[in-house]
Amino acid sequence: MKRVSLLKLLAVGALLTGLGFGVVSCDGGGDGGGRAGGGFPRSETLYVGGSQWGDPTTFNPIVEPWLLSWPVNDRFTLMYESLISYNTLDGSFEPGLGTLVSRDVDRVVVDLNPAAKWSDGVRVTSADVRFVFLLGQRFPSAASAFALQFISDVQVEELSDGTERLAFVINKDDRNNPLVVLDLLQAIRIPPAHIFEQLLAEHNNDLRAVQALKLDHSPVISGPYNIEHHNSERIVLKRRDDYWGNDALHGGNMPKPRFIIHPIYKNNDHFATALQQGNLDISQTFVPRIWLRKRDGVHTWFDEAPYHLPGTILFLVINTTKPPLNDVNFRRAMAAAINYTDIKELAVSGYAPEMQPGAIMSHRLEAKYFSQEDADKYGVRYDPEEAKRILAEAGYQSIFRPDGTLDHMLDKDGNRLPTLSIMVPAGWSDFEAAVKIAEKGLRTAGIDARESPVDGGVYWPARPSGNFDILISKIAENVTPSLPWSRFEALMSSRNWAPVGGETPMQENFGRYNNPNSPEYNPRVGQLLGSVPTMTNDDDVRAAYHELNRIFMQDQPAIPLVTIPEQLYQFSDRNWKNWPTSANPYAPPNVPWVGVNTKVLWNLESAR
Amino acid sequence: MLKKYPTIKFISTRAGWYFITLLVAVTLNFTLPRLGPNNPVDIIMGQFGSGLSAHEAQQREERYLMEFGLIRMKGGEIVRDGEGRPIRTSLIEQYGSYVGMLAKGDLGTSFRSSEKVWDIILRALPWTLALQIPTIILGWFIGNLFGAYAAYRRGIFDKALFPMALFLNSFPFFVFGMLLVYAFAILFRWFPPMGGYDLALMPGFSFAFILSAAHHYVLPFLSIFLIGVGGGAIGMRTMGIYELGTDYIKYAKWLGLKESKVLFYVFRNAMLPQITGLALSLGTMVGGALITEMIFSYPGLGMAMLSAIQNQDYAIIQGVTLIITVSVLIANFSVDMFIAFFDPRVKAGIQMGKGG
Amino acid sequence: MKLFKNLLKSPMFVFGASLFSLVLFAAFVVPFFYDISQVTRVGNPYDAPSGKYLLGLDHLGRDYVVLLLRGLRSSLYVGLLAGVIATVLGTLIGLIAGFKGGLIDDVLSALTNLFVVIPQLVLLILISTSIGESGRSLTLIAVIIGLTGWTWSARSVRAQSSAIKSKDHISLARLNGDGGIRILLVHILPYLFSYVFMVFIILISAGILSESAISMIGLGPVDTQSLGTILNDAKNNGALTDGYWYAFLPATGIIISIALSLYLINTSMDGVFNPRMRK
Repeated sequence: MKRVSLLKLLAVGALLTGLGFGVVSCDGGGDGGGRAGGGFPRSETLYVGGSQWGDPTTFNPIVEPWLLSWPVNDRFTLMYESLISYNTLDGSFEPGLGTLVSRDVDRVVVDLNPAAKWSDGVRVTSADVRFVFLLGQRFPSAASAFALQFISDVQVEELSDGTERLAFVINKDDRNNPLVVLDLLQAIRIPPAHIFEQLLAEHNNDLRAVQALKLDHSPVISGPYNIEHHNSERIVLKRRDDYWGNDALHGGNMPKPRFIIHPIYKNNDHFATALQQGNLDISQTFVPRIWLRKRDGVHTWFDEAPYHLPGTILFLVINTTKPPLNDVNFRRAMAAAINYTDIKELAVSGYAPEMQPGAIMSHRLEAKYFSQEDADKYGVRYDPEEAKRILAEAGYQSIFRPDGTLDHMLDKDGNRLPTLSIMVPAGWSDFEAAVKIAEKGLRTAGIDARESPVDGGVYWPARPSGNFDILISKIAENVTPSLPWSRFEALMSSRNWAPVGGETPMQENFGRYNNPNSPEYNPRVGQLLGSVPTMTNDDDVRAAYHELNRIFMQDQPAIPLVTIPEQLYQFSDRNWKNWPTSANPYAPPNVPWVGVNTKVLWNLESAR
Repeated sequence: MLKKYPTIKFISTRAGWYFITLLVAVTLNFTLPRLGPNNPVDIIMGQFGSGLSAHEAQQREERYLMEFGLIRMKGGEIVRDGEGRPIRTSLIEQYGSYVGMLAKGDLGTSFRSSEKVWDIILRALPWTLALQIPTIILGWFIGNLFGAYAAYRRGIFDKALFPMALFLNSFPFFVFGMLLVYAFAILFRWFPPMGGYDLALMPGFSFAFILSAAHHYVLPFLSIFLIGVGGGAIGMRTMGIYELGTDYIKYAKWLGLKESKVLFYVFRNAMLPQITGLALSLGTMVGGALITEMIFSYPGLGMAMLSAIQNQDYAIIQGVTLIITVSVLIANFSVDMFIAFFDPRVKAGIQMGKGG
Repeated sequence: MKLFKNLLKSPMFVFGASLFSLVLFAAFVVPFFYDISQVTRVGNPYDAPSGKYLLGLDHLGRDYVVLLLRGLRSSLYVGLLAGVIATVLGTLIGLIAGFKGGLIDDVLSALTNLFVVIPQLVLLILISTSIGESGRSLTLIAVIIGLTGWTWSARSVRAQSSAIKSKDHISLARLNGDGGIRILLVHILPYLFSYVFMVFIILISAGILSESAISMIGLGPVDTQSLGTILNDAKNNGALTDGYWYAFLPATGIIISIALSLYLINTSMDGVFNPRMRK
């Protein structure tokens, strides 16, 4: 009896489970290309990770950037392509839908590639380019409308061989910034105008109605891969064998992987595990302790420390309007109290070279603007004794408890200062670790600051509103042609200056440095930021950057903590090999779905 | 008049209470996430980074506020105050439109993806059901069976089983899940550490897919199932020992009934309180199982909720919590009804007009 | 006293009580000999256990013994605070509902049902997500757990008190003209005392488990370490993938030891007290 009932139970259980899967199985049909039951052979599939975290949303290239799903989001170019792309290794521009011809202070000129075609066979023309770059003139709320601050028109000229030559006219009345125009040319992806004009016509010229379309069923694109299927677990792309660039850009070859699958895991650790187990081929997530994974075939750019190339800088941004943070001596004391080596070794797994003071990286393309002499003369380095000395000299007093831990601080007049909080998004393990180490150093030196982990819901709004004491943030995240100008702009520009917590947020200079209405206002910062983009002489540019960096180091409106890779780049050679590395640098250390790195897809070799 | 039909009266009173519970749950569901200082528009605006002029930033903010129903509209136009700023809707107004939408079966739209919350839930729900219903019911059933047997047999079986069950029952689900992952997915690599199926396959009625789904099912299943067995066994053992002391069992034994028959009686009679117990702990179990999904990146409601928490997407958080609450509510109501009709003791109570 | 002797005869109680004493010893006596006042870097990420650092170091090179002892103290604090709040609330509501009966009972029972059917985790998530920068302290989390975790005790106490209500000595007290509150406190509560204590024990353990649960989904306390945040840190910093067992096994062991020891104490007390309650 007992035995029978147990068997029965198991049968019921199996039945219920089966039923459950039955329901699940039904769910798959919705957005697939009718491949139900089929699969994606491992030897023809590239598994990639780290560019999509939530459920896929929309693949419509003209919606707001934060809504987009991989591979249409960010600056990714697998479906919709940009005109040119930027090689972050040598600073050159490589052709995409177009080729960079010339640039000066008046215009940036690009030739459209005459071979470029949409997937429906229609030629890519100047109409497509004008559509997206000038969309803001028709719809001020268009996602690409901000481009009009930088360009006033796109002029078209037909060359004798039929090639269309486009001139992006610098908008001198507004931002007058040719540097950012170069950024735009490689960041803005071109959507097919003939499709979108038709959609707009069908929807009574209502942009929002067109933006509501998901465009996830065989959309008309120009790139080498098209969306095949997506659900909460993954996004699948399929190779377009008739991609125009196969002949025009890649000598008649096709990219090697027939499918690209992006699994959607919610946890960094899952990507690392999948990479290690050979279920993921490349990931731009943070994978700690890469040296442990060599035996599993997981590698990165360098084979030894620091493993990655630095790409951007992690800063502590300081609210310079709030006492005692409005005191430059206090800020410099803070900078001297933080152990940058600990941050490098613990928070980012040693994936960085030694940190230099200032906002210019001493590595890669920026190195030519870096001055070691200035850094040594004006910069503050880790020196706890120096930190205490600056504080004492400026009149601050730190009150320690008998056990040696800091209790509180007194200002120059002997008033008790409140504890400063360092805001960090909770759960971002590398940021949190960096802040913990900074907190430790600050407190030891007698500065009363505490880590304050907050949810994204507090963190993101705090940046533009200025409602924070100190917060940790990447500044100028992507390696773009406009670096390091864009980093200085994001750190120090008073162009849109607005008070903390006011009606208008500030999208740069979160710390409210250099208030134009204050007596200490330094107009030189704005002059330099305004003039660098139009400078043509390299020596002038270098001199200007040196001066900006000197001001930054002297005023210390933010504290650079550590350099971090632009994109974390880790790959497994168990299924695909011939990835770019420092020994084989045919492309920058980046994922093969962005700009110049797409050529990696043509160079991969199956390792099976 | 209802007095004549005690059963109907009983059902309607119970249903009434459950309905009130539902209303309060909806209100809590609406209020709690809004206690905080920020709305989704602030979060989106904060993520933009540089590149927007002040005027542009303001325009965009207005647009999002409008899309999320956070400012007052009249005939498609934004209502503005004297200084030209849009007027924000009050919490009451938002609540009104929320309840109105719910009444129409609309759970709203994701703030982030502009996808219908219903679609997101419908996509995740089958996975959660496939994971939770069999594990919870099967764990409970087998646990009870073990418990009854232990109570009946005592001796060595009981001595081994009871501490084991207590031990299992002290495990938080997700910690158990973590250990399973470590042992069987990382160390031995027998089972995949995450996901619901092999991503090389398309979901569908294919042998390969079902096999792969079953393979991915094992670890999450075990992590909930074993703990359920522990809990069920403990409760049933206690009930069983109590039942075994009753006169009817002594009588049955004295009559010389077969062991399996006696066990069956014990099981049947001790089961009803155990069902109530299951219903009561359902909320906790479902909560724990949701975290299990997060540990395994299992594609269900737990995962949907986790990403919504990370994105502060009220609409999804509210939708998922509401669905969970309503499911637990329905399960409890069904158990109430089930007990009322099958437990002779409660049934007698209703007939005598004491129900409700 | 006799009860206590009976308890001591139960091997389950002896084992449970010893285990719990060991936990308390670790939390409150060991720190006198092992300095846990500083959480600081002493080596490299995930250095393996050594003679100096018995349980190795975490992802920030901090001594796991220090972290675990601090975490244990936080978790006990959460369990105790949440347990007290939930027990007091649950006992009061249960007592009043069971004793008063009628409409009050209906309303209180409905309130209890409400919190039974809305999963506690859901409430915790909803509240935790809305608490901003200053919130999410250990104390706040304990309070939230306590405020949402009382239903089970209310239900049990209600059943017990409504059973006692009809007993003879209560009727006698009523005849003597004793007021409702006096009857509750003098004649009913003492009878339930052992029961309430058992409920309290279970609620402490439930509080500790709840804290670790919400810490695991990243909604834990932000001002200190707890056993839950230690596990969450381990999970988020690759300890599972890289097989650093000392990052999660000790914390797991401590959580289970607390839960198991409290459970054993409860069960053995149940065995000793209940025969009397039933008759």
